[in-house]
Amino acid sequence: MALAIEESKSGEETMIGVRGEVDLYTSPRLRTAILKAVPAAGGGVAVDLSGVGYIDSSGVATLVEGLRSAREHGKTFTLIAPSPAVMQVLELTRLDQVFEVQTAS
Amino acid sequence: MDNGENNQDFRLIVRSDPRFLGSIRSLVRGWLEACELAGNVVDRVVLAVDEACANAIRHAYEGRCDETLEVSLREDGGHLELRVCDHGAPCPPECMEHRELQPPTADDLRPGGLGVPLMHEVFDEVDYCPGITGGNCVTMRLKRKD
Repeated sequence: MALAIEESKSGEETMIGVRGEVDLYTSPRLRTAILKAVPAAGGGVAVDLSGVGYIDSSGVATLVEGLRSAREHGKTFTLIAPSPAVMQVLELTRLDQVFEVQTAS
Repeated sequence: MDNGENNQDFRLIVRSDPRFLGSIRSLVRGWLEACELAGNVVDRVVLAVDEACANAIRHAYEGRCDETLEVSLREDGGHLELRVCDHGAPCPPECMEHRELQPPTADDLRPGGLGVPLMHEVFDEVDYCPGITGGNCVTMRLKRKD
């Protein structure tokens, strides 16, 4: 299943738009994109998850790595409009309380 | 006859390549929908089966893509039974034990280790046993609520 990752700048923030399914096969690409964007970002990174139809624990772990890296670099890390599929897994893993989540972009 | 394999509704034998996880999810989803399971339960069960397959690829096969996974699905007397078997390195039984998912704190953020707790979160029972000819078999059972 295809995963499309698109990076753009919005003021001080780097936006990473994710569309498709995030699983063991596709999450390494998302990991590379996030871990590259965090140190290079001005203020922080916002990951738009509105177009994600599926995410597994490797995808969620990738987001956790992004958050950790952002903290190390003194940057913000925000999840934008997580789809119901993403919210369900964040809630199942109790990680919904850890991330800063913006419900609409 | 081993493991009652002739009683399965579905048996998929798939190469242990992460590229095919999406196909496994689609087929499992189709079977769950044919069993007329509620949509949110379908999503959760698909996730747990995907986690079991991903675990087999990552841990039992250490990422080798040229081995096989076997996914068996069965509905019987109001119970759904899903089984994922591999022929890889046997996992120590304690790695499949039930651990409650604790809300992680800001200082204790560890990526990974979420797959097995998710399987326990979704299913009523998760049994792990070494396979008959080596490898691992994870059997997950769920009682229908409807």
